[in-house]
Amino acid sequence: MSAVELATPSGGDPDQDDLVVVKKVVRRTSTKRRVITGVLMVALGVLCVLGLGLGAHPGVSATFQLGQPDAAIGVPNLVLPARTAIVVLGVLIILLGLWQAVRGFGRRAMRWVGVVAGVAFIFSFLCWAATGQEGGASIDLVGLLSQSIFLATPLILGALAGILCERSAVINIAIEGQMLTGAFAGALAGSMAHNLGVGLIAAMIAGGLMGALLAVFAIRYVVNQIILGVVINVLALGLTGFIYDALMQPNQDSLNNPGFFSPIKIPVLGDIPILGPLLFDANIIVYLMYLLIIVIDVALLRTRWGLRTRAVGEHPKAADTVGINVLRTRYRNVILGGCVAGLGGAFLTIGAVGSFTKDISSGKGFIALAAVIFGGWSPRGALGAALLFGFADALGTLLSFISAPVAIPSSFLAMLPYLATIFAVAGLVGRVKAPAADGEPYTKE
Amino acid sequence: MRSVMKVAATVALVGLTVSACGSKPTDSSSTTPAGGSTGNAGATSAAPAATGGGSTQASGKALQACMVLDTGGVDDRSFNQSSWAGLQEANKSNPNIKISYVPSNSSNDYVPNLNAEVKKGCDTVLAVGGLMADAVKKTAAKNPKTHFGQIDAPSSGTNVYGLQYNTAEAAFLAGYLAAGMTKSGKVATFGGLNIPPVTIYMDGFWEGVQYYNKAKGKNVQVLGWNEKNQKGGTFANSFTDQNKGKQISQAFAQQGADIVFPVAGGTGLGAGAAAQSSGGKVSVIWVDTDGCISAKQYCQYILTSATKNLADSVAQYVEKGADGTLPTGNYIGDLKNEGVGLAPYHEFDSKVPADLKKEVDQVKADIISGKIKITSPAQPKE
Repeated sequence: MSAVELATPSGGDPDQDDLVVVKKVVRRTSTKRRVITGVLMVALGVLCVLGLGLGAHPGVSATFQLGQPDAAIGVPNLVLPARTAIVVLGVLIILLGLWQAVRGFGRRAMRWVGVVAGVAFIFSFLCWAATGQEGGASIDLVGLLSQSIFLATPLILGALAGILCERSAVINIAIEGQMLTGAFAGALAGSMAHNLGVGLIAAMIAGGLMGALLAVFAIRYVVNQIILGVVINVLALGLTGFIYDALMQPNQDSLNNPGFFSPIKIPVLGDIPILGPLLFDANIIVYLMYLLIIVIDVALLRTRWGLRTRAVGEHPKAADTVGINVLRTRYRNVILGGCVAGLGGAFLTIGAVGSFTKDISSGKGFIALAAVIFGGWSPRGALGAALLFGFADALGTLLSFISAPVAIPSSFLAMLPYLATIFAVAGLVGRVKAPAADGEPYTKE
Repeated sequence: MRSVMKVAATVALVGLTVSACGSKPTDSSSTTPAGGSTGNAGATSAAPAATGGGSTQASGKALQACMVLDTGGVDDRSFNQSSWAGLQEANKSNPNIKISYVPSNSSNDYVPNLNAEVKKGCDTVLAVGGLMADAVKKTAAKNPKTHFGQIDAPSSGTNVYGLQYNTAEAAFLAGYLAAGMTKSGKVATFGGLNIPPVTIYMDGFWEGVQYYNKAKGKNVQVLGWNEKNQKGGTFANSFTDQNKGKQISQAFAQQGADIVFPVAGGTGLGAGAAAQSSGGKVSVIWVDTDGCISAKQYCQYILTSATKNLADSVAQYVEKGADGTLPTGNYIGDLKNEGVGLAPYHEFDSKVPADLKKEVDQVKADIISGKIKITSPAQPKE
């Protein structure tokens, strides 16, 4: 179906020579799209060489720290002559763009080409930014990446929650509210029990309860799911705010002082240079997140539960006909999703800062929702979108205080993560398809 | 189906915008007059004084002082809380001053809240926060008989008293102290939003460090702000996102800063968490209130605080009203009248060298005497 749709703009007439056209389309994208991406890449490369290369102060080198001072295995710093590095990377992007415009990469290859071009551009951008300081700035690359993961963790968990719900066709706008409730319950229960584990479980239960609320109204009472989600978000904000005022604020020490999980370094793996401090020196919520990404990704495609979930999300009537209990599947997934969002909320309090404040989720649930959609309703895609957002956010912070050759306004940096995500997703992912029955309540006739 | 997804995308987009602005979604419970005036020794439970309109009163008669809070809420450990504390203080010392407050859930609540307070018959309505300035100007013009107290913005009418604070002076001291305390030669600051009430602190901090460098021939760097580049700087774009505050502070620490000065309300608490994670390598200078009281879980990492003494000036304002006439015009809190200042060092008291403490006192004296000129463009003007 997608082959025919894509064939039309390529200029071929599907009626006359069906076979040839289809073959061509499967291998490559349409000529127009191919040339446009190619030209855009060349433009990016030219910008890189001329804008950044000439803008960089000559003779200054950029230093990238790859190791940490207290690491078991030391990694030397990467010192690059900034201008040369930028020009080389820029030319690489131009060459890739030219190839794409003239010959064209296959669709799969194009994804990787896009990633390579993106990384090359970011690298040359960092080189450029580092030359603003006398003698060249030193950029802690591992630190930058670990902050990206720190910022992306709640987004990834929120997005997984969204995927669980939406794959079974219940739209979950309420991720934000579920996270906020989880963050609140985690801090409250963790303080009361003097045990972070209890807080973690309470956060998941609280998130699950908000999920159940969504499920009951969306499935049993067939309320419009988008309006419902918005209302639940407001409810969560009001409810946690009220209890915070009434209970936590006057008793900060006993009710809002849970502390937070300290990182657990995994032996051996944690000592790997670069990857070790990045991935294997995190706290328990991050490890749970790794587990959830893998489990949900595999389970959606390869288990009975996954097949049923997808069936319910795509064609509930057919699923019902073969004996799958549509409503039960939806209830289960929505509540499960709430629990996962609650876990994401727990990261915001007992996972990172150790106290709850009003509206601590600050819109992260909405970004997570965007990651679900940008990621094409798949765990991998959402992971990519969330990581990209986290990286752009962390990069924005770095750029705000590393004195670049040209001062970048803080208001531009504020929109950088949103801009980067939208462009990267539009460029690399293209059109995504929602589960066919997403948002449609199911009632037996 | 498709249209449903369109709506979903729109909502997501709105969400993006909302989070980008760092403001929170509007709450449903909007104007509930005097919703939370509890716990004040029963004084507020007395029947409201029905003396609407009267602006001057002899001592002993009741004065009804009402407060319209900004969106942070009465317990924001920042300006809302300290302003309300001022009214509570006044009420304690003179039970004839009846006090109450209304919270605002969004900027849309300012005008209705102010009008509701006027209709209630308040003698003076205190508006907390410079964002309310426009709403106060309009409401005050329409209700010339009611007095208004405008916190963080200049007086905008004959019946408005503007309470402003030159916090750059306090932040100057904080910057000088930070420059004297840093071991790495790098200190850092970040804000919630790039708006004058925030950047005035950052300006002062930056100037304090520059003054130290000049006086001592040192080269302490400030990450995150440069007074000469008002459009740059590091901002969290939120006053509620603690995680962002933690991440920014860690980014500073990775680039070598060991003292962080967050000017970002609740977001700043993340700097405390970052200090805790660093095991005390990073310390924090708190802002607005004494951090060892308002964020005491992080007291052991808080070097000092650049404070804004809202409570006392608010209390003085209404007490003057109860004694006779509610003042109008402008009040500017500075180091001289103790409207701003540096909080005690608390747990750092033994760690700050005696010489440095003396120098800070000397700098303070020099600012008061006018020997040191503060150049921040965000300073309040009469």
